[in-house]
Amino acid sequence: MFRHNALRYTALVLLAAGALFQALTAEYFGLEILTEILILAILVLALDIVAGFGGMVSLCHGALMGVGAYAYALLSTKAGIAPPVAMAGAIALTGAIAWGIGAICSRSHGIYFIMATLAFGQMGYSYVFEAPIFGGDDGLGGIARLDLGLIGVDLNDSRSFALFCLAVLGAAYGAAVLILRSGLGRSLSGVMHNEQRMRALGLTVWRVKADVFGLSGMIAGVAGALAAQHVMYISPGLLSWTVSGEALVVVILGGLGTLVGPLIGAAAFVLLKHELSAITTYWHLVVGVLLIAVVMSRANGIFGWIEARWGARMERRIADAARKHQPEEVASDA
Amino acid sequence: MSHDIGFWTLQALNALQLSMLLFLLSIGLTVIFGLMHFVNLAHGSLYALGAYFAASLAAVGGYWMGFFLAPVAVAGVGMLLYTGLIKRMRKSGPMAQVLVTFGLIFAMLDLTRIFWGDLALAIEVPALLEGRLAFLGVEYPTYRLFVIALGALILGALAFVLGRTQIGAMIRAGVDNDAMAACLGINVERLFFIVFCVGCALAGLAGAVAAPLLSVTPDMGLQILIPTLIVIVIGGLGSLKGAIAGSLIYGVVQTFGAVLAPQLASVLIYALLAAVLVIRPVGLFPAKG
Repeated sequence: MFRHNALRYTALVLLAAGALFQALTAEYFGLEILTEILILAILVLALDIVAGFGGMVSLCHGALMGVGAYAYALLSTKAGIAPPVAMAGAIALTGAIAWGIGAICSRSHGIYFIMATLAFGQMGYSYVFEAPIFGGDDGLGGIARLDLGLIGVDLNDSRSFALFCLAVLGAAYGAAVLILRSGLGRSLSGVMHNEQRMRALGLTVWRVKADVFGLSGMIAGVAGALAAQHVMYISPGLLSWTVSGEALVVVILGGLGTLVGPLIGAAAFVLLKHELSAITTYWHLVVGVLLIAVVMSRANGIFGWIEARWGARMERRIADAARKHQPEEVASDA
Repeated sequence: MSHDIGFWTLQALNALQLSMLLFLLSIGLTVIFGLMHFVNLAHGSLYALGAYFAASLAAVGGYWMGFFLAPVAVAGVGMLLYTGLIKRMRKSGPMAQVLVTFGLIFAMLDLTRIFWGDLALAIEVPALLEGRLAFLGVEYPTYRLFVIALGALILGALAFVLGRTQIGAMIRAGVDNDAMAACLGINVERLFFIVFCVGCALAGLAGAVAAPLLSVTPDMGLQILIPTLIVIVIGGLGSLKGAIAGSLIYGVVQTFGAVLAPQLASVLIYALLAAVLVIRPVGLFPAKG
């Protein structure tokens, strides 16, 4: 089950403070990067739920995000539905599709699961690319942002939009923690550790997997709807499998199954991408080599590494304390 | 529909040619997976590398030099990858392997861009294979017929080696149960190495053969990767039969789908893959029952 410890709380507070500081002080370009980080963070949060806590390594989460983005764009522009309703519809639709994918893939494991989700993601990509309603290669433009005029917030201002995304990320994180702590989340970790035993205990394994995949898809849909609003333009490239692959890279760089780690990973990845592409056009090379190094080091990403170090230190301290105690007791006995 | 028999023959040949190209790629990937349980997503990058080597060598010594030497060069790169990376990743789970080879895709994509630039390269078809040939009542480009023949030749050779020779028996034993094969005195490690290099060489050969048909670009490896993975998942991992069945299914569905149902063509193959995974999660002809 997912638990917070002091280290995780500290990291969360530091991240939130950093994001808030950036959102309140940065100029236009800084705000754009911050918003990019926040949206990616929502997506990788969704991926970490299924991959880190359910062992379902999905290569279709980028496509799910794309589904959310296209659903929001179509509902709000072509169908003329009010943005809040369109966003809710987009999230529900993405969740439903993800549930279906989760249900179909629930029988596959390991590499087959990866391939199956990859196939579904590519299916979505090709369909969006070919069907005229989605604008094909040209994509869709003229997407409106949510209207929060009611509470006096204008989201067309990039600072307000960044703060809005931060609030949504906070809500998504809360939702993820709630999901993982619920009965469903506990069943999920049981399924990850021993599927046969859970089945023997009378659990409907495929339902657990599909439900969690659906919930994770809804969070990915949120990321998609926000991404569409952020750039106000979407193209099929959003659904390409490399986006899903990059999301997986971010989760691994940050620390799989820590929920906090992927947030750090998202920040590190976007910053690295921007810094590197300013210096060289070959930033993929650096990211690729870095990824190979992280995976081969067998540390669980940046945050996993910190946690392991911290855990080792705590254990040493406990051992030291115990050793200090013992001689005294012996002395008093004697 | 008003298409005559010649049209369908032409489409069948197109399908066959696509299938053979995919077969050259997928056989290496599938046997590597079957034998070593290693998922090499960078297989497509090796194919792109083969095309680039072929293009450079062809510029120096003509098409045939590229054709014969590119696979050797790619096998050399494969050797480096094996000793440097893959040997150490053998015991890891599928996710770590997917990620390492995903990183490798990134790295190799940019390395090809650094060495050969972003512009597309082109190779001329050799004089011997230029023009068209009358075949089964249709005119068909000779080079494409050559691709089909080459695929069939490789298929025959592999079927012979895997089915009739001692090393083939050793490979089959290794796929079936590597621990037991090792107990029987087979040097499984060396077998892995040989199979990996041959798989890389075949990927390089596919790249060299595909280069005159398509333009040589850095992302050609990414484009071919997904079809190759579809082929081996439909066919079942680890078997020659699966690779050839998967390639043929992919070629036929893709080519005839584009003619009969252009709207659905691109989705059709993914839907088929999903159907296969639901009905037979391990593919049609997996190496292990």
